[in-house]
Amino acid sequence: MAFTPRGRGGGGRGGFGGDRGGRGGGRGGFGDRGGRGGGRGGFGDRGGRGGGRGAPRGGPRGGRGGARGGRGGAAGARGGAKVIVEPHRHAGVFVGRGKEDLLLTRNITPGESVYGEKRISVGSDKTSDDAPATSVEYRVWNPFRSKLAAAILGGVDDIYVRPGAKVLYLGAASGTSVSHVADIVGPEGTVYAVEFSHRSGRDLINMATHRTNVIPIVEDARHPLKYRMLLPMVDAIFADVAQPDQARIVGLNASLFLKVGGGVLISIKANCIDSTAKPEVVFAQEVQKMREMGLKPKEQLTLEPFERDHAIVAAIYQRPE
Amino acid sequence: MGLFILSETSAGYALFKAKDKKLLKDGDKNLNSVEGAVNALKLKKFTKFENAVTALNEAAALSDSKVSPMLSTLLDELKDETKSSLAVADPKLGNAIAQLPGLSLKVLSDSSTQDVYRAIREHLPSLVTDLVPAEVDSTRLGLSHSLSRHKLKFSPDKVDTMIIQSIGSLDVLDKQLNTYAMRVKEWYGWHFPELAKILNDNLAYSRVVIKMGFRSNAREADLSTILPEEIETAVKAAAEISMGTEISDEDLEATTALAEQVVDLTEHRQSLSNYLSTRMQALAPNLTALVGDLVGARLIAHSGSLMNLAKSPGSTIQILGAEKALFRALKTKHDTPKYGLIYHASLIGQATGKNKGKIARMLAAKSALGLRVDALSTWGITSENPADEPTEEEKSQLGRDARIGIERRLRALEGKPLKSLPNANATSLGAPKWELKEARKYNPDVDGLAGDEPAAKKSKKAQVNGTPKKTVQEEPESSEVEDDTTMMDADAGAQESDSDDDAGDASKAAKKAEKEARKARKAERAAKREAKAAKKAAKEAKKSGGDDKEEKKRKRDDDEVKDAKKKKKKNKD
Repeated sequence: MAFTPRGRGGGGRGGFGGDRGGRGGGRGGFGDRGGRGGGRGGFGDRGGRGGGRGAPRGGPRGGRGGARGGRGGAAGARGGAKVIVEPHRHAGVFVGRGKEDLLLTRNITPGESVYGEKRISVGSDKTSDDAPATSVEYRVWNPFRSKLAAAILGGVDDIYVRPGAKVLYLGAASGTSVSHVADIVGPEGTVYAVEFSHRSGRDLINMATHRTNVIPIVEDARHPLKYRMLLPMVDAIFADVAQPDQARIVGLNASLFLKVGGGVLISIKANCIDSTAKPEVVFAQEVQKMREMGLKPKEQLTLEPFERDHAIVAAIYQRPE
Repeated sequence: MGLFILSETSAGYALFKAKDKKLLKDGDKNLNSVEGAVNALKLKKFTKFENAVTALNEAAALSDSKVSPMLSTLLDELKDETKSSLAVADPKLGNAIAQLPGLSLKVLSDSSTQDVYRAIREHLPSLVTDLVPAEVDSTRLGLSHSLSRHKLKFSPDKVDTMIIQSIGSLDVLDKQLNTYAMRVKEWYGWHFPELAKILNDNLAYSRVVIKMGFRSNAREADLSTILPEEIETAVKAAAEISMGTEISDEDLEATTALAEQVVDLTEHRQSLSNYLSTRMQALAPNLTALVGDLVGARLIAHSGSLMNLAKSPGSTIQILGAEKALFRALKTKHDTPKYGLIYHASLIGQATGKNKGKIARMLAAKSALGLRVDALSTWGITSENPADEPTEEEKSQLGRDARIGIERRLRALEGKPLKSLPNANATSLGAPKWELKEARKYNPDVDGLAGDEPAAKKSKKAQVNGTPKKTVQEEPESSEVEDDTTMMDADAGAQESDSDDDAGDASKAAKKAEKEARKARKAERAAKREAKAAKKAAKEAKKSGGDDKEEKKRKRDDDEVKDAKKKKKKNKD
């Protein structure tokens, strides 16, 4: 057991494919030798090799991600200073074309990073807004940390999150992704961010104090009635709750708060629902459950290479009759 | 006759009257449009929250499905209405309203109301004309912030958090302490390399470094408060003939500073572990009685809070901490692990072989029961009289009874008498002032490099399997090898006589046993030194025999001694 962190550390070196590389490293470290080397510390060479072996194996799986790691990419953006920002197909999302392509959202609180992400300032001649002299600040959106960003890069048809929309975000965690969603909906829209964990809720509230279009709700998404007085009808629901009964949770929230015809995006982690079944089977089951809850599935796409055994399912809400 | 609808918003309570009393049954499609909704519903009364504080209190009450005074005065409006029904969104709140005195309403809170509420939520500004949309938004924002802050402030898990943090801190501290102590030994070892051989105990080593300084001071230094007499003389003798290098005053100063850190950290660790055990005793007396405070705290930390842990079944508690092995086993359709964190409980440590798994299962099941008592009992809440509150003894009654039951079962399974220790789970609190672990000779057997020594092989096998079968299991076979059977018999006798001792004497007996063990070991060491030139094989046999003896004793000693020895063994490895 003691050697897993070591292996993971080795994997982490491989940049952003890190997650997978790390896991490979851990496996490499399973041998008695790797473990021993790790334990002794002084003879780090052996354990280290175990980890190192894992990293390149992770590399190819990480694919593109390995090459454009968050840090590397962002650093390039800063160093180059030659980033051209173009609007993305989805309104409110932007693409930064520099040395490497970056996913961006327009920062609604200029001058502040939420979780240490890089910011890019651009003279506003590109954006055809009314104020020509001011510069616009964008924040880099890391697809390895946000499933919505991964879905956008994966080419999802519609994210339902658009400027001016009211979005119910289930599983907001510390509010890193929520901050980007808040950027997209802009000052006219609102994000209702639900998170159950008190520890993460603390960070979420802190984030929300700077963004007035985020409504933090520290409640269990299983009991939507507990926050019924805080919500109007919403245009879209994004769910990243990673619970075995997440389809039910989303259905419950949709039946209370989602407009008919509103969009739903659910991120499904196969392991959280059934770790023994095949991921494809799990996804199919979940889609079936969504149908029963009155959600009409539109598309399903995998989040490879950013996450393993994850899928995003987009659906439209129709009242079950 | 009529249908009323209660709707809660962030700005206040709204009470609507349906124009058509069959609104719910029809599933009216008109509700979807603004006009339809306005036509179908008439605002009877809107009670605004005067300020943010009232809004917070009302919202908190609603979250808990309680009827606040403000809501009940609003509902007084409906006192005269008979045979009417009232639609409420939350079924629990509906129940609470139905129990209000003087109200003869039929409360509806089933799924049939859902469409109406969706309509109200959608068209709220048109239905309640006093409300400006911007105002609703701002009240929502304010209320959500104050409500979440309120939630965090009065978090029910705050006591659990203290335990979780302190056990985490304890683990970090142990790690840190070990690195520091090793560094002190390494550093001061340049000046006085022999000391580490004589003294293995980290705390005593650091104390000696602080007290003695240069080894040339060894003769004058009074180490009697730190060391027992015989070791003190050994240190002094070694200092005379040391082969260490000379160091300067500054060097010594730096070394001493680090040694002081070790002493400070050790004290801090002690107080932290005291704190943890008192907290555990107060928070989860039954769990603590069953598995001990350290294991109990780890379990709580792993599940996040006492309530979470209490909600999990025994089978989950049994394998908590072995998730990786569990999921691997589930995927590959192999046997699932038998124990996780609970393995370190003393009851499981006393079991051997297959019985470990059985005891783990029983212990986990009983812990689940104990935990539910700990988490859900309402001691002292119902009565104001403090005398009615049960004593500590009574609170942990279930845990202690279960423990005795498991001990009895274990004895039956093992087929031999095991000593019941009332405080077997107690940590190193009542430990003697200083406890010394003597330095051991380097043991080539456990290296496993040559791979032909039987002892080394055995230990390696245990490691490879991943099942941490400890040496207790090896006892029967290796005791046959043992030539010194008389010692064994004597030991067994001691064991029996010990078990006759009553509970109060247990720690004393343990101490005595420890002393005996030390004496025996010393004698053994002396003998070894004399017979240094003797054949290697003979030496090995003797050593393994000695280990076995110790093992036997170890079983009887309390946990703390066990831990210490284990550590020593690790060092030896």
